Amino acid sequence: MISSNGSALKLRGVSKRYEDIVAVDNIDLNVEHGEILGLLGPNGSGKTTTLKIVLGLVKPDSGSVNVLGIEATNDPIAVKKQVGYVPESPRLYEFLTGLEYLDFIGDIYGVALSEKQTRIKEYLEALELEGREGDMISSYSEGMKQKIALISAFLHKPKLLLLDEPLSGLDPRSARIVKDLLQKLTSQGVTTIMSTHILEIAQAMCDRIAIMYEGRLLALGNMEELRQKARLPGSDLEDIFLKLTGTDDIREVVEALLK
Amino acid sequence: MNWKNVLLLISVDIKAGRLIRGQRLRRYRESRVFQYLLYGGACLLGVLIGLAAGLFYSGVPDPNVKTLFYEGCRYLFLSFPTLILIFNLVFTMMSQIQRMGVKSSIQPPYWLPITWEEHTLASTLANLIGIPLAFLILSSSAIAIVSIYLEQVPLAALTVFALLASAFLASTTTEIFRVLQVRLVGAVYKSTGKAAVWVRFLGTMLFLVVFYVVWFAFTSGTGSIALIEAVAGAQQVVWFVPYVWLRMVLAAFVSGLPAQTVIFSLASLLFILILFYVAVRLNARFGLYELPAITVSRRVYAPKIGFLGRLGFSSLEAAVIRKDLKAFTRRRELMYVFVMPLVFILMPLMQYLGIYGRPVPLEDSRFLFALMLLIPGAMMAVMMGLMIIGEEGESVWHFFSSPVTARSLVKCKYALIIIFSCVATLICGVIGILIARPSLDIAVALFIESVLLIFALGAVSLGAGITGADFTEIPRPKMVRPLTAFVYMLLCLVLALAILSPLVPYAITMMNLSVLVSLPRIDLYVAVSISVVIALVITFVFYKIALKNAEEFLMKAEI
Repeated sequence: MISSNGSALKLRGVSKRYEDIVAVDNIDLNVEHGEILGLLGPNGSGKTTTLKIVLGLVKPDSGSVNVLGIEATNDPIAVKKQVGYVPESPRLYEFLTGLEYLDFIGDIYGVALSEKQTRIKEYLEALELEGREGDMISSYSEGMKQKIALISAFLHKPKLLLLDEPLSGLDPRSARIVKDLLQKLTSQGVTTIMSTHILEIAQAMCDRIAIMYEGRLLALGNMEELRQKARLPGSDLEDIFLKLTGTDDIREVVEALLK
Repeated sequence: MNWKNVLLLISVDIKAGRLIRGQRLRRYRESRVFQYLLYGGACLLGVLIGLAAGLFYSGVPDPNVKTLFYEGCRYLFLSFPTLILIFNLVFTMMSQIQRMGVKSSIQPPYWLPITWEEHTLASTLANLIGIPLAFLILSSSAIAIVSIYLEQVPLAALTVFALLASAFLASTTTEIFRVLQVRLVGAVYKSTGKAAVWVRFLGTMLFLVVFYVVWFAFTSGTGSIALIEAVAGAQQVVWFVPYVWLRMVLAAFVSGLPAQTVIFSLASLLFILILFYVAVRLNARFGLYELPAITVSRRVYAPKIGFLGRLGFSSLEAAVIRKDLKAFTRRRELMYVFVMPLVFILMPLMQYLGIYGRPVPLEDSRFLFALMLLIPGAMMAVMMGLMIIGEEGESVWHFFSSPVTARSLVKCKYALIIIFSCVATLICGVIGILIARPSLDIAVALFIESVLLIFALGAVSLGAGITGADFTEIPRPKMVRPLTAFVYMLLCLVLALAILSPLVPYAITMMNLSVLVSLPRIDLYVAVSISVVIALVITFVFYKIALKNAEEFLMKAEI
């Protein structure tokens, strides 16, 4: 059962620890339907672990995860049917061709034959993979693999997209197509949570931005709310991010390196 | 040549072993004692062997035995360089075959200031780390100790030197083979176009089968003795082949021919240098060679329900089966599952035809038929079951992130094991019938038994493959934890004997074997019926266990 109203995602007191490292520390998060939420944070801040917890790839030590009205631990299969996921560095089946891989993904999610054929053709054409779809993925560049991973996330028309660095390795045209596509999907009610290091993209695309640091949620809100929190009126996301994460000592670091 | 770079590159290769051993510690501390235990053990064993041989020699009162032993040792010293060469060639080639699927991340970083000479030398020496080096230490220490008793220290010193040179020669040859193989494969892909997938599959299978047939022939019982005799006997005849020159050095030294000793020593050294130069040039030319893309199909994409769909598999299950079918025919590391059954067909076939010496008598061919029918399919089921989850490697996230249920996962993986193993059994059976011409009763009974073994052992090993899955891919795919594989292989052996046990009295009666206890006479079909019941119970129980394991596996998904 998927509820049509309420939040698309609710995290309550979610924590995850790996030995002596706290990957995610007591996070509470609500994401509304049709919203694009950007997850920002330095390396190792817990963004990827949070995305994995939402999909059930990592079990939290404590807290509850509700995805599209479903308790993730109660019915993980129902959650997975509604979610499209692109991991940080997607390991695809490299012995398959691009077409075979997408056909495999379509079948895994039970996409109808004619629909699958049409969508695969459209996506391959849009992301300029036509002509290479019959080649084994092992011969693809990183950007091409990323395109295949993105298509596989969109193929079954998910209600929630979990994208870990989705634009990594994409050429400008494809990046633009993916950005526009995400905006269109948002207008159709699809929720997107994306982690990224490209602050300009986050600022331009996301309705709200969550800044994570050492597993904690430091700040959450739209650009105006983040500016207020950082007490940096009129500044851009880069300044806010550096101030909030305590990494604004850039000048001193560079000067020390140049010595 | 920067020797520090060479040592650093070798140490990188040694450290890759941490991944093979499955060390996942964040703060890694290598135990030096453990690292050198293999070599220390080999040295100790060699010393003990040398001492035992030496003490035997000094303690023998009969002068004839003494002379015989003395001559025997000298004869062995002379054969050792070529034997070490063959051993190292086979071993380093086997290691290269295993490493064909290795990820490029452990390749030396080409963008660093490292010359091709340094890279090639490091790679050549690193090939010898492990068992080849341990064997070299064992042989050298044994030779050194025994030579003291034989009063042949100069010959022993020269032999040890020849052993080291032989090992290096073998490893350099493997290095050349590795580079050429990559380039050759690239050329074949380009010229064969869409058929490249099948050319690669058949080529790899052919290479592995020939390799293993030769290996088993030489390492099985009388085969190894035949090898030593052949090596010792043939070397004088083929003196012009550079690979036996090291042996010629020793032969000339023993015969008291100093000029020939020097000539063959210099010739050997020159040959090693030329070979190394060739390896360096080939690495420089093709070391960065990227294999061309394999285009599998250019047909217009038109998805359909397909044969598996009509058999009642859901789209998800059919998709996983189709994916795995492609994996087993396109991934080299998975092609191994086809090799063992093929070797099991070829070995008896070659024995039957008398290729290894005396042809097999007809009454023994019935036994061979039983082996050909029962072992390959069962073995394939066990091997596939153990590796079929772990072969997913790091791509296993697909199962964790997509709506795959435990039931679907077990069903489709089990179906693939059954399909492949039954096809192997069918092929083996047909060849066996053509060779042994068994009666219809025996042929039918053995076919049934073979299928029962496949179903039962497939379920057992699949359950084990799920709990013992190892998704490590670098430096080579591990697929299953070794301890799990070992324990479940033993369990499979026990269960296979349990399934076949009702047929034992019948087999003993049929083959007129005399046993200590009198066994009851049993009708063949009664025996098969009892066997069916045992196999069904085992299959049912272990399929349920596999389902439970799969549920836990998907629940505990952590990537």
